[in-house]
Amino acid sequence: MTLDQLLAAYRKMFLIRRIEEALVKYYFDNKIMSFVHFYVGQEAVAVGVCQNLDLGDKVLGNHRSHGHYLAKGGDPKKMVAELLGRATGCCRGKGGSMHMIDKSVNFIGSTPILGSVAPISAGSALTQKLTKSKNITVSFFGDGASEEGCVYETLNFSALFKLPLLLVVENNLYSVNSKLTDRRSSEHNLSKIVEGFGLNYYKADGNDYIDVSRKAKAAIDSVKNTETPSVLECITFRHMAHSAPICDDKIGYREIDTPETRKKEDSLFKIRTLILDGGTLEESLLEIEAEIEKEVSETILYAENSPFPEKEELMKDVYHA
Amino acid sequence: MHRIISFTDAIREATEQSMQRDPSVIVMGLGVSYKNGADGTMGTLKERYPERVFDTPVSEFCNTGVGVGAAITGLRPIIHHARVEFGLFGIDQIVTQAAKWNYMFGGENPVPIVFRLAVGRQWGNGPQHTQALYALFGNVSGLKVVIPSSPHMAKGLLNSAVRDNNPVVFLEPRWLYGLKENVSEDDYFVPLNKSRYVTRGSDLTLVTYGDGIVDALASHSKLLETGVSIEIIDLVSINPIDYELVFESVSKTGKLMCLDTTNNAFNVGGEVIAKVCSKLLHKLSFPPVQLSAPDAPCPTATSLTEFYYPTKADITKKVLSILGKPLINEVLSFGDLHLSPKITINTL
Repeated sequence: MTLDQLLAAYRKMFLIRRIEEALVKYYFDNKIMSFVHFYVGQEAVAVGVCQNLDLGDKVLGNHRSHGHYLAKGGDPKKMVAELLGRATGCCRGKGGSMHMIDKSVNFIGSTPILGSVAPISAGSALTQKLTKSKNITVSFFGDGASEEGCVYETLNFSALFKLPLLLVVENNLYSVNSKLTDRRSSEHNLSKIVEGFGLNYYKADGNDYIDVSRKAKAAIDSVKNTETPSVLECITFRHMAHSAPICDDKIGYREIDTPETRKKEDSLFKIRTLILDGGTLEESLLEIEAEIEKEVSETILYAENSPFPEKEELMKDVYHA
Repeated sequence: MHRIISFTDAIREATEQSMQRDPSVIVMGLGVSYKNGADGTMGTLKERYPERVFDTPVSEFCNTGVGVGAAITGLRPIIHHARVEFGLFGIDQIVTQAAKWNYMFGGENPVPIVFRLAVGRQWGNGPQHTQALYALFGNVSGLKVVIPSSPHMAKGLLNSAVRDNNPVVFLEPRWLYGLKENVSEDDYFVPLNKSRYVTRGSDLTLVTYGDGIVDALASHSKLLETGVSIEIIDLVSINPIDYELVFESVSKTGKLMCLDTTNNAFNVGGEVIAKVCSKLLHKLSFPPVQLSAPDAPCPTATSLTEFYYPTKADITKKVLSILGKPLINEVLSFGDLHLSPKITINTL
């Protein structure tokens, strides 16, 4: 991996982290009146996957998709404006945090009903196959969503029709506060499930950008070259609560991802250390960080200065013309 | 050129003409590859379009969602579910994904998809194969919901549904599959959002849709013998409902009857009556009347279904009693009560 790639990844991961952290106070000031699910901690997954995609490849996400949207190149201004309920938002204020979309970079939507995005992404891959496109579709969803029946149905469907589809399971260990052991037998084995349906299975350390990127590249190459859809499971840590930008360790459900472990395994910290260990001067990183901080401030200022949707917008676009 | 064809022929013809017209139209569903698949509406389409017509795994949620994903990326899928109950596995994709997609993403996000769902009565199908669930689909913002009442309507509405940029729920009353009508060979389009007069009359307005039209027409003929003329309105669409003709007709007749071939609670007839009362109460000379099935699941035994669905005799009797005329004693045959009509009608 080249230094340029690493620096580009760091820049994107830092943007995703800082934009969310900067938004925390807007949430508590009731300026974000949209349900939010922050991505803090999981940035290596979105960036590791999306940096291996072409602009023409399509991506869909779930309820926790700020990172997926930004990693695919979605416009930060339209994202923040959407969270603040402004007319300049990516959904003109109609969707909120759970509905990210920027079709100019082929981030074609995120939708929070767990698992629903899997068959939708298979439909996008079907279009690509029938129109003989060289591109693929990727959808991101969590370990909780992966337990929905429609996800198993999608594994079968996509293998049957040899769809150009990569399903990324971001396993952050919890569905809200429910542990994996609350929801699965000790014999549960996702690789056997996936391979049993005829797809390829890849597993990555979702807190490690390098590992995600390497496995994502292998998975994407396989989807593009062998007509075999794939699943990439990334084990990662969600630093904040399921919903709302708070740390919820006092509830006591976390076993592995304690504050100490999260700090040690933090994807952003790890990639930063890696870059510095490779001989890059910290000054270069500080320069990138300063640029991003400026971009974040400008982005939020843009959103705050944007108008709210007019009342007429309420009844607009129920139907497409 | 017109010729007499069946309701299922009309659906096949619209599908075929839609596929000829637009290469982005695909058809997916359980058994759509068979010649007799999808209740005999497929014919040789699989042979002619092998890559655009395909059978699917028995996974209705996935199949429906794949359709949505294909629709948002440029195809125009027709998704077929042979019973509305099977389609319920995919209800999230219909009511929460497809119906909301354009609105929740701020417009400019069309979902051009048709959900063909077969609904309603058929002998022997019992509680889990005969629901219509009109009220459910009528309630969902963002869906267009149409119910064809004849072969002519089936063809023209399906053509329009496929060409529309929104998710269209196409509820096919299975009861009408054998019904015949003189239908144009042309590739014609019937508007999705316009109700229509099926008969003109002056004594009473009868509002119905789908398989209600056949019984309404039979009753209309019977009533003419007694000198009574009813004005039958086919709603065509139940989401949204077009009230223009309903208001026009009730303003003239002063009497309203609504006929639903499904159970009573929250049904379309009740909705129409509420709207008429809130707008035209002063025009009504008699309290509006509702005919519908009772609020019980549809049973299987014919000795019970005999009392489940409102019949043409029930309609006639009710109209005459509203008008204060002597009642006619009409005896219905086993076929009238339990077998779907294999007749040729003219609703044009």
